[in-house]
Amino acid sequence: MSQSKVGSISRQDMINDLLGKYGIGVVMLIMMAVISIMEPAFLTGRNIINVATQISINGLLTYGLCLSITTGGIDLSVGAQLALTSCMIGVCLRDGMPVALACLAGIGIATLFGFINGILIAKFNMFPFVVTLSTQLVIRGLSQVISNGQAIPITSDAFKEIYSGKFLGIPIPIVIFVLITIIMYLMLHWTRFGRYIFAVGGNVNAAIASGISRFWVLVGVYTISGILSGIASIIFTAKTGSAQSNIGIGYETDAVAASVLGGTSFAGGIATIPGDILGIFIIGFIYNGMNMLGVSSYYQSVVKGCIIIGAVLMDMVMIRRKR
Amino acid sequence: MRKKVLSLALVTVMALSLAACGAKEEAAAPAAEPAKEAAAPAAEAPAAEAPAAEASGADVNGDGKVVIGYISKNIVDPFHAPINEAAQQALDKMKADGVIDDWTGILDGETDPNKQIDRANDCIAKGCDIVIMLPAESEASDPALLAMNDEGIKVLEVNSKTASCDTKAFAFFGSDDVQAGEMLANWVLENCKNGGKYIHCTGILGNSAQIDRGQGIENIMKDHPEFEKVGEPDTQWKGDLAANAATDGIAQYGDELVAIICDNDDMSSAAQRACNDAGRKDIVCVGVDGNQNPLQMVKDGELGATVLQDGIGQVMGAIEAIQTMVNGGEVKSNPQIPFVLVTKDNVDQYLK
Amino acid sequence: MSEEVRNAEYLLDCENISKSFGGTHALKGVQLHVKPGEVHALLGENGAGKSTLMKCIIGLLKPDDGTIYFDGKPFQAKGPVDAINAGISMIHQELNPEPHLTIAENIFLNREDVRGIFLDKKKQNQRAQVILDNFHMNYPAQTKISALTLAEVQMIEIIKAVSTQAKLIIMDEPTSSLDSHETDRLFEVIRDLKAKGVAIIYISHRMEEIFQICDTVSVFRDGTFINSMPLKEVSRDTLISMMVGRKVTNIFPKVDCNIGDVVFKAENISGKGFKDISFEVHAGEILGFSGLVGSGRSETMRAIFGLDPLYGGKMYLDGKEIHNKNPRDAIRKGIAMVNEDRKNYGLCLTRSIRENISLPNLPAKQKGLLINRKREKIDCEEYASQVHLKAASIEHDAFSLSGGNQQKVVVAKWIMANPKLLILDEPTRGVDVGAKSEIHSLMCQFAAEGLAIIMISSELPEVMGMSDRVIVYHEGSISGEFKREEIVNERVSQEDILARAFGA
Repeated sequence: MSQSKVGSISRQDMINDLLGKYGIGVVMLIMMAVISIMEPAFLTGRNIINVATQISINGLLTYGLCLSITTGGIDLSVGAQLALTSCMIGVCLRDGMPVALACLAGIGIATLFGFINGILIAKFNMFPFVVTLSTQLVIRGLSQVISNGQAIPITSDAFKEIYSGKFLGIPIPIVIFVLITIIMYLMLHWTRFGRYIFAVGGNVNAAIASGISRFWVLVGVYTISGILSGIASIIFTAKTGSAQSNIGIGYETDAVAASVLGGTSFAGGIATIPGDILGIFIIGFIYNGMNMLGVSSYYQSVVKGCIIIGAVLMDMVMIRRKR
Repeated sequence: MRKKVLSLALVTVMALSLAACGAKEEAAAPAAEPAKEAAAPAAEAPAAEAPAAEASGADVNGDGKVVIGYISKNIVDPFHAPINEAAQQALDKMKADGVIDDWTGILDGETDPNKQIDRANDCIAKGCDIVIMLPAESEASDPALLAMNDEGIKVLEVNSKTASCDTKAFAFFGSDDVQAGEMLANWVLENCKNGGKYIHCTGILGNSAQIDRGQGIENIMKDHPEFEKVGEPDTQWKGDLAANAATDGIAQYGDELVAIICDNDDMSSAAQRACNDAGRKDIVCVGVDGNQNPLQMVKDGELGATVLQDGIGQVMGAIEAIQTMVNGGEVKSNPQIPFVLVTKDNVDQYLK
Repeated sequence: MSEEVRNAEYLLDCENISKSFGGTHALKGVQLHVKPGEVHALLGENGAGKSTLMKCIIGLLKPDDGTIYFDGKPFQAKGPVDAINAGISMIHQELNPEPHLTIAENIFLNREDVRGIFLDKKKQNQRAQVILDNFHMNYPAQTKISALTLAEVQMIEIIKAVSTQAKLIIMDEPTSSLDSHETDRLFEVIRDLKAKGVAIIYISHRMEEIFQICDTVSVFRDGTFINSMPLKEVSRDTLISMMVGRKVTNIFPKVDCNIGDVVFKAENISGKGFKDISFEVHAGEILGFSGLVGSGRSETMRAIFGLDPLYGGKMYLDGKEIHNKNPRDAIRKGIAMVNEDRKNYGLCLTRSIRENISLPNLPAKQKGLLINRKREKIDCEEYASQVHLKAASIEHDAFSLSGGNQQKVVVAKWIMANPKLLILDEPTRGVDVGAKSEIHSLMCQFAAEGLAIIMISSELPEVMGMSDRVIVYHEGSISGEFKREEIVNERVSQEDILARAFGA
């Protein structure tokens, strides 16, 4: 025992590790099996495509929230960011701007507000909850200002193609979601910035003492959250064909739920993108599956809440067994 | 290392399986029809060979089953709850009686066009023939109609129209919100002979009901300069916000304030209650919908009147149309269900 | 032997306790017998199973096998509260008192004085004050914990344990954050408790203390029980060899190496808790900093490393003036610092060993935009084995490691950064004897490679044994400096250094 012993992981450890990390995947498989037995139409290619398209918006928001939660904060402004980007795009398109520029303008303004969130949190040490709760009001208010509170119809078919179009037979929202997923995966697990996010969330003092700039990590995280909301809003706006200021209310709830289901720890410092993907799909399957089964909408909220609590509990039990 | 491989694999598998699904969809779509026919019981084979739509006017997609979808606007507000309730009972009964084979249950639109589009796609995936939809937004919920229409689903829009309702929806069952706005304004004209200042409490900006009712109010008020609109607070269909607007208005304009016109009667009843509590029973508050609480207030004499939108009548119109289609009959594409001005005289008729 | 009432000679009697986690046997049929009124030392390297056994006793863990008898009856606590009610209190090595509560509230946490449904604060404060006075703590009971030093917080924890009328108190490294003066006061308390018949299990890596205060010693190694005997009958060397399973001939393996040019120089630097400090440290030199806890040593180092602001003065690295606004500046220039507060400034416990080691060193592991994880893994494994890290895999959470191994991770991470100046603040606090001498050897090795090392230590033998030069602090200023020759030639004794530390 006196000499060092740094080897590879034992099989037992690996199984525990996988269960701890992907136990939530088991939940998803069980869910899928149960629903598909009761409603065969659930597991058809068509419905899976349908669900995958549906989750793309929440998926992008989930990644943003996952990052902010991992640094020990939260971004409550994502729903309002949807509205602001939407109105920005609507106004730009109405004024005859090309689609690409309008999208850039939309993402730009969401990015700006993400950046502002980051500055307020990192520079002035304000609580993320308070900051984003407040900027959320500012952002939604601004979206009402630039849209005059009116719905702006989107007439550009090229823009609507972003939702209805296909790339190699795959709906574009799915393509966007997969691309962003890959980028987020690489960013969080394969870059310095990702490591720094975990470090700042896991132990901010140790991170600073290791030469990490808490300031830029936080600013980066909230800015990325803004960018992701902006992209989500493009899909949203193309989907509904209308830009308006009242959209996205309460969208942070599903995103937080998916993120937590995916193993993101509110204590900070723990998250995985594969976990998030599972969480996002579970939320999508809950909506779609219960509707397919004809579960009364009155009970759906109850069921959704219970599944989330159950899944998180199961996850915790598994992690505890691991320790 | 292994973990890395696993996580990467997961992402790739997801991407691949989606791609595979996408490709399969194209290939599977034509193949699905024969497969379904083959699966149908032999006894039904002749029926399946003939275009199925002819067999029953309601089996639109010809799979031998009549499946109805129901996309609500939401399941929480007091105007929509009784509509959903009535639809639930009627459709359950139709299913029990064998008139239809199945229905989706009340799908929750969450007053969110994005969610309504998702629910529309769920209806498509489930193989619905006819879908009743109560749109949340006129522009933004339109893609839900278009998506279902593209799949050949007959969409019955109820209560409010989406942008392409007139061309793409199979029928519309509703009332004219502009007319409702005019009724509101006329009620104020009748009850405030001398004119004065009024406040208009709006619904969520951009909702078609908000836009059209506001239009109706303007149509009348523009010819009556003795009335001055002093505020248009964004009260978002919410009673508490309208009550705040009422007390703010009383504080600011005092006796000059004579009326509060609200886009719905959750707001008008709350505003009236706030006025009454402030000793200003004379302020005329009026709104649209005919929810139970305002109706009760009309009965109790606390509220002068409310404009009832016969939501149950609208949705029952749509359900009767389904019955007609099942029987192979003709359906009128745009039947109007009129608004009713409810006062103390006729309130008992509508109060449950 | 299961249910009969046991020999009442022992207050605590653990028989044949086993516990395993996954495939690892943390305890293999160990025993421990503690008599009333004795101070029982528990010795062993980190990972020997001491903490695991203690957790079994206070009910944080459930043993897989074996029986614990307390007061002659079989006893299995369901949790710490259960144990406290039965008369067993534990003072943990890493303290977590609520900083915003008062001393009184902390002492009576979970057993508040109440009148009806309301707290009886007055009574509680009075009771707390009485206890505080007994311990010569010159603080009002209403003082917030956040106003106390680490050492004082430690005293509060001890007071809290004593005030529960415990029959058995477990102290895990109680002196790790105390200076020698405070340690003496703690020993008075322990002797007092002993006289009252309270038994104490005393876990410490400091041999001097064990010989000073303990009656009996039990030694564990690798999850097994090695031996138990009265301390009078054993020598220090025997104990160490029992612990490590080999003979440790020299506890401070300081090798003299060539001292080179000045690497770092501080000129009249001031900051919070210190002023007008000037010193220089050379390549290949180990510069020791001694002094009482709170004398400003750590504060000086934190300011040099950029963790705290510097109010004035100049710093030079390799002859060039430097300014460190934050640790990033310091690290880029080649300064690394192992912080005394490992839990707060050393590690991200929820992340893997690999991620912790490579955290400040990622720029060097970059391949394009991404991290070269293969390179990272190989390098981290290399440095982990260089510091003799004991871990099943570097992919495990840092959380799963013992204190000594966590410290090795911190050392590994800074060695990988290849600094010119390495600052070690209490590098061996809470580290077992084996790991301690390994860290000392590493320090010598690094010095031989030309690294300039600053070491702060509250353990006099360590400072004296390891340093080429010793600087002594007193209330924020340098009060003395000694050279290695003086110490080796015994011209300077422990007493001399202590005297300077106390300002004499």
